[in-house]
Amino acid sequence: MTTSEEIQVGDRETDVTAGDRSLSEKPSYFSAMWAIIWKDLTMERHTRQILSVMLFFSLTTVVVYNFALFGNLGAAREAATGFLWITILLAGTLGLNRSLMSEQENQSLDAVLIAPIDRSAIYLGKVISVTAFTLLVEAILVPVFTAFFNKPFWRPQVLFILILGTIGYVAAGVIVTSMTVQTRTRGVLLPVLLLPLTLPAVLAAAQVTAAFVSPVLPEWSEVQFAVALVVAYDVFMVTAGFLTYHYVVEE
Amino acid sequence: MAERIERINLDRLVPILNWVAGIMVAISLLVIFFYAPTEITMGNVQRIFYFHVGSAWVAALAFFVALLSGIAYLRNPSRTWDTIAVGSVEIGLVFTSMTIISGSVWGRPAWNTWWIWSPRLTSITVLWLVYVAYFMLRGAIEDEEKRGRFSAVYVIAGFVTVIITFLSIRLLRDIHPVLIGESSAAAEGLQEFSGLDSTKMVISLNVSVLTFSVLYLAWLANRLRLQKMVDVAADLKTRVMTRLQQ
Repeated sequence: MTTSEEIQVGDRETDVTAGDRSLSEKPSYFSAMWAIIWKDLTMERHTRQILSVMLFFSLTTVVVYNFALFGNLGAAREAATGFLWITILLAGTLGLNRSLMSEQENQSLDAVLIAPIDRSAIYLGKVISVTAFTLLVEAILVPVFTAFFNKPFWRPQVLFILILGTIGYVAAGVIVTSMTVQTRTRGVLLPVLLLPLTLPAVLAAAQVTAAFVSPVLPEWSEVQFAVALVVAYDVFMVTAGFLTYHYVVEE
Repeated sequence: MAERIERINLDRLVPILNWVAGIMVAISLLVIFFYAPTEITMGNVQRIFYFHVGSAWVAALAFFVALLSGIAYLRNPSRTWDTIAVGSVEIGLVFTSMTIISGSVWGRPAWNTWWIWSPRLTSITVLWLVYVAYFMLRGAIEDEEKRGRFSAVYVIAGFVTVIITFLSIRLLRDIHPVLIGESSAAAEGLQEFSGLDSTKMVISLNVSVLTFSVLYLAWLANRLRLQKMVDVAADLKTRVMTRLQQ
C-alpha cells in the first residue's frame, strides 16, 4: 500500500529525473511480499469467507467419519491421524480455491501484476497467507480431534509436523491452483491435480503424526527420515514455485 | 537445440528405429528365456524381473526427459519441446503401468498377493496418478501457448514427486526387493529373492534395459512424427476451408 503512494508522489514531482528515479526504484522484495500477505489478511478480516468455509467443512467431515465407522471407537482412534490429514487436505483445497479465485474474479491479480514487483514475491506472499489460514483451521481441529478421538494431537512434535506438512502442501497448492483457476473447468480440476502431487509429503507427514500420537513416543531415529522427506518436499516445492510462478500468472 | 531436433528427417529415422527396436525386443526375449539362468529359490518367475526393471528404468528416464523439455520450453517456448514432453509423459505412463502389472504378477507367487500397500508400491501409484492428471490439465486449457506453459510448470512440480518416490524407496523399510544397495527386508529375512547372483543375470538385465531404452526412443520418434502429421493435416484443413469460403 505504501509503495503505490510513493510512486504517486514521485509522479507528481516537477523534477523529471527525480520522478523517474522513484518510478524505476522497485519496492523492496519483502515489502512487496508483506503487502500481499497484509492484503489477504485484511480481506479475510472483513469477509471471513475463507476461514468460515474451511472450518465448517472440516467439522462436517468429522461428523461424516463417524457414519463410516458406525460408532466403532477403537477403529476411530486407529484412523484418527488419517482423518486429520484428509480433513486438512480437503479443507486446504477449499481455501486455496477461494483465495486464488477471488484474485481472478475481481481482476485484482492483473492490478498486482502491473506493479513493478517480482512474481516470486506474489507467490511467497500467497503461500504464507494461505498457510496462515490453514494453520488457523488446524489450530481449531487439533483440540477437536483430541477431544473426539481421545489422542494427544496437542503434542509439540505433532504441531511441528503439521506445520511442516502444511507448508509443502500449500506451496504446491498455490502453483497448481493459480493454473486451475485459469482453466476452462475452473476449480473442479484442483483436487485431481493437487492431491496426487502432495501425497508423498502428506503420507510421510501422516506417518510421523501417527507415531507421535501413539502412547509410546518414538525415538528420533525412527521418524527422522520421514521428517527429512517432508522438509525436502517443502524445499523443492517452494523452490519450484519461486522459479516458475511468473510463467503461471503471466498473460 | 529445438531447431536441430526439428531438422531431423523423421520419415527416414522412424522406420529404422522401429526395426532396431523390434529386433532388440526379440533378442532380449531370447536372452531372458534361454540365456539367463533359472533363479535358485524363485525359479522361472524371476524372469519377469528383467522386464520389470527395464520398464521401471524407462519410466524414470521418460519422466526425466519430460522435466528437461519442460524447463527447455519455459526458457524457449517451442512446439517441439512441448511435443517431446507430452510424448515422454505418455510413454512414461505406459511403462509405469507395465512396471506395476509385471510387479503384480511377480508379487502373486512371491508375496502370495497381487498387491501390498508398501511405501514403494504406494509411491508408484501416486506417481502414476500425478502423470495422469497432467493430461487432465492439458485437456482443460484451450490456448496452445498457455497449455504448453502450464504443463511445463506442472511437469517440473510433478518431478518433485518422482524424487521423493526414489528417496522413499531407498530408505523406508519395505518388503520390495532392492537392486542396488542393502535391502532392509532381506536383512530381516522377509523375502527370498537372492538378487543378481551370476554374471549371466547381469548381462541379461543390461540387455533388457538397453532394449527398453531404444524402444522409448523409437516411440518418441513416432510420436514426434505423428504430431508433425497432425499439424500438417490441420494446416491443410484451414487452407481448404478458406478456399471454400472464397
